[in-house]
Amino acid sequence: MKEGKVLVRFRLNGKPVETFTKPNDTLLNLLRRNLGITSVKRGCEVGECGACTVLLDGNPVVSCLILAPTVEGKEITTIEGISKEGELHPLQQAFIKAGAVQCGFCTPGMILTAKALLDKNPNPSLREIKEAIQGNLCRCTGYTKIIQAIQLASKEIKSSCISD
Amino acid sequence: METDPYKLLDKWLKTKKFNVIGRGMERTDALDKVLGRAKYVEDYFSDGMLFGSLVKSEQSHALIQHIDISGVEHLSDSCSVFTAEDIPGTNEVGYTIPDQPLLAAKKVRFHGEPIALVVAEDPDLAKEGTELVKIRYKPLKSVFDPLEAIDSKIRVHEEQGSNIVLKTHSSKGNIVEGFSKSDVLVKHTYRTHYQDHAYLETEGAVAFPASNGVRVIGSIQYPHLAQQITARVLGIGTDQVEVVQAVVGGAFGGKDDMGPLLCAQAALIAFKLGKPAMVTYSREDSMIAHCKRDPAVVEYKSGATRDGKLSAIEARIIFDSGAYANRGPFTLWRATMHASGPYEVPNARVEGYLVYTNKVFQGSFRGFGNPPVQFAVESQMDELAEKLGMDPLEFRLKNILRKGSRTLTNQLLEDSVGIGEALSKAKEKSNWKEKRTEYRKASGDKVKGIGVACGWHGISTSQGVPDWSNALIKIDREGKVAAYTGITEIGQGTHTGHVQVVSEVLGIPTDLIKIEGGTTAAPDTGATHASRGMSVGGIGLILAAEKLKQKMEKTAARLLACTSSQVRFGRGLVFSAKSPERSIRWNDLIEECYKEKIELSAEGYFGLPKGKFDGKKGQGFAYPTFSYIVNVAEVEVDLRTGMTKVLRIWPALASGKIINPVQVEGQVEGAIAQGLGYALMEEIALKDGVVLNPNFTDYLIPTTFDMPEIEKPIYVEDLFRYGPFGAKGVGEMSLIPTPSAISNAVYHATGSRIRELPATPEKLYWTIKSAAESRTKQRKEGTSP
Repeated sequence: MKEGKVLVRFRLNGKPVETFTKPNDTLLNLLRRNLGITSVKRGCEVGECGACTVLLDGNPVVSCLILAPTVEGKEITTIEGISKEGELHPLQQAFIKAGAVQCGFCTPGMILTAKALLDKNPNPSLREIKEAIQGNLCRCTGYTKIIQAIQLASKEIKSSCISD
Repeated sequence: METDPYKLLDKWLKTKKFNVIGRGMERTDALDKVLGRAKYVEDYFSDGMLFGSLVKSEQSHALIQHIDISGVEHLSDSCSVFTAEDIPGTNEVGYTIPDQPLLAAKKVRFHGEPIALVVAEDPDLAKEGTELVKIRYKPLKSVFDPLEAIDSKIRVHEEQGSNIVLKTHSSKGNIVEGFSKSDVLVKHTYRTHYQDHAYLETEGAVAFPASNGVRVIGSIQYPHLAQQITARVLGIGTDQVEVVQAVVGGAFGGKDDMGPLLCAQAALIAFKLGKPAMVTYSREDSMIAHCKRDPAVVEYKSGATRDGKLSAIEARIIFDSGAYANRGPFTLWRATMHASGPYEVPNARVEGYLVYTNKVFQGSFRGFGNPPVQFAVESQMDELAEKLGMDPLEFRLKNILRKGSRTLTNQLLEDSVGIGEALSKAKEKSNWKEKRTEYRKASGDKVKGIGVACGWHGISTSQGVPDWSNALIKIDREGKVAAYTGITEIGQGTHTGHVQVVSEVLGIPTDLIKIEGGTTAAPDTGATHASRGMSVGGIGLILAAEKLKQKMEKTAARLLACTSSQVRFGRGLVFSAKSPERSIRWNDLIEECYKEKIELSAEGYFGLPKGKFDGKKGQGFAYPTFSYIVNVAEVEVDLRTGMTKVLRIWPALASGKIINPVQVEGQVEGAIAQGLGYALMEEIALKDGVVLNPNFTDYLIPTTFDMPEIEKPIYVEDLFRYGPFGAKGVGEMSLIPTPSAISNAVYHATGSRIRELPATPEKLYWTIKSAAESRTKQRKEGTSP
């Protein structure tokens, strides 16, 4: 054990992880600095912008406000964990197709928040979409194409369920 | 074989049928971004790297008497502190004039000014160290209000005779005559405020020691400027500094200014300590210390005749420069030369003042000096129309610039000007007439209104400032094409547009083309600002691609048994115009050229022709071309709270050829969001020069629920003769008229006019209340009919 650090064990994108962390470090820093998951972005460090969003047991959380030791035994999903066998998640495809990506800094967090929404509610209304992502700031797109992308993905997911 | 660049550009200008130009091609960088693989500055984090954290001034105006770093030295052996004294080269980073240090030396001029960098092997330790640097100041009196600063005895820069950095002016005709002929006059003062870029990625750079200097990866908009400033600060040659852009998490102009400063800060550490070094700003650092949109006071008077023609304008524009000149001379110049709006005005007098104050300095921000002045213009256009009893949109149509018009600076508009058509089309699409009548009649707590505003924006650099395009294209033996440009990809999608340009000219699939952009390894292409990346940046690409085709023509002609002039490139094939069924594959032609020892690289250069500008009169050639924009906005105001909800915006662009409509829509939608934030909610709260709200809880930017429905833009493709396929520039456009379109709609809804932004609910509530009170008072006193 490293001095002053605590062991934390959790599942990251389906795989078990064991690592040491400073007790007061955030999940954001643990993911970025210790585990090299740089898709989780630092935007404000106080939970205002949503760029560092990850899924904690399927729910979107801002990882800058989660103390790293508290994820013991939990399941963390980052953008790396949502494409299966090299195939893009319908949301990732829709974000590309709809032109919902500009600078891309909000994109991983935005897609993860949208995924949590669609997992629970595959057919959200416009209002429900806006509500779900209102904590994820985007300074480039004005959200128009992001909302369109989520709608597009919702249709894709529904039609693939039917064909299954 | 045509080699004259003017004729080559003209050939493409006249082309009507395209393969990829005008298509909404998917972005080349989107896949990396949705996978989270795109590498931004901070993602270059690695063990063994040093981290620099900013020590900022706690005073607005003070002499630095002593900097005590002993606390940091006790914190850890690995910690060190860099101050102005550690700069080996010149501590001078001013953009326009040499008035700004990288790290404050003897004096601080604004609260938050960088004084030192604490360096440690751990970013948290570096941050902790900043608290331990103790600075002894001798406070000086500060001046915060630009109007006061004009005559103040307090000098922000003690060596200068006045706080006025620069005066600008433009005059034409005779305003005394113009106003005396006017049947209606409007005169008011308009105030606009700081706007923070609020890019989601804060400023940052990472530097690596290189054998003969440094290699820097930055969040930048102009690699060659970052190179120049870094070299100056380190006291080494530009050949010893390589700068490459990282993926940039939003820029909007701010990283044109901040990029080079962060590159120099990171490079300073890496260069002196011989280890990789990263400097990133926290959100708080960013909002306190990085430049913002210039606050402005615009005193504006205009007159029109009964037949609905503008007769004269007079404007005095005061720009608050903050502590340093930075871009102020250019933003003010732009504001001055755009002060007529996109209208014909026979008589005008415009004066501008750029004034130092002890506040955070201004800088480039989408719209670049133009939004404050267009807010004044477009408010006045509505007020004049009302006094004339005319529809405000029809009044604009009567005065709008057309082909053959002369601008405020008397610049002749020789190319087509599409804003009149854009205005008419926006009128139809928005159902303008019906809504103007219908909404008037409404009553209740929530009232609706519809408003219009126009905007114009000179594309690329002003007056005689050298303006050029440059690109280098190489084809490898497998037929893959690499195009080098200094233009950066900052999220706007320009590199995707560049791929389309090269694909169209070479007639090959887009996936064969890669843009190597934003690097000093590419030719200096000027900055990615002034809406020039796609348009001016694209010219060099066309010319380089044309040169390459010429290099291959002889070989192709031999293989196709035709003449060189009959060789055509398209669909990934090379064929003969005489018998198109005979063709050779692109790759086979490339292989043949390699065998024939034909070198397959070419540079495309174009110097934009510019006219003369008479600085004394402020008349002459201002910009290579102008883009135009119309926004119609529909709002709903809650009279009980003063809350404005923007319901819908109809944008109409006259910005030349649209290279990629999906990316253009993205620019329009994003710029409207920023314009809406600027109009209604974004406000840097300052007390004695201290930023009180350096966070997103207290500095509000639009979220999903603030955004209106944005209609598909109307495009009027008024071509620019030197633009690639006639493209002009789009990036900044939709922000410019958004505040005034909203405020004109608010007036239509409430009868209350906003002359100071942002129109927060509180401000609007009191404006509505006082307007209602004065109407009641007038009615009681019988002064109103």
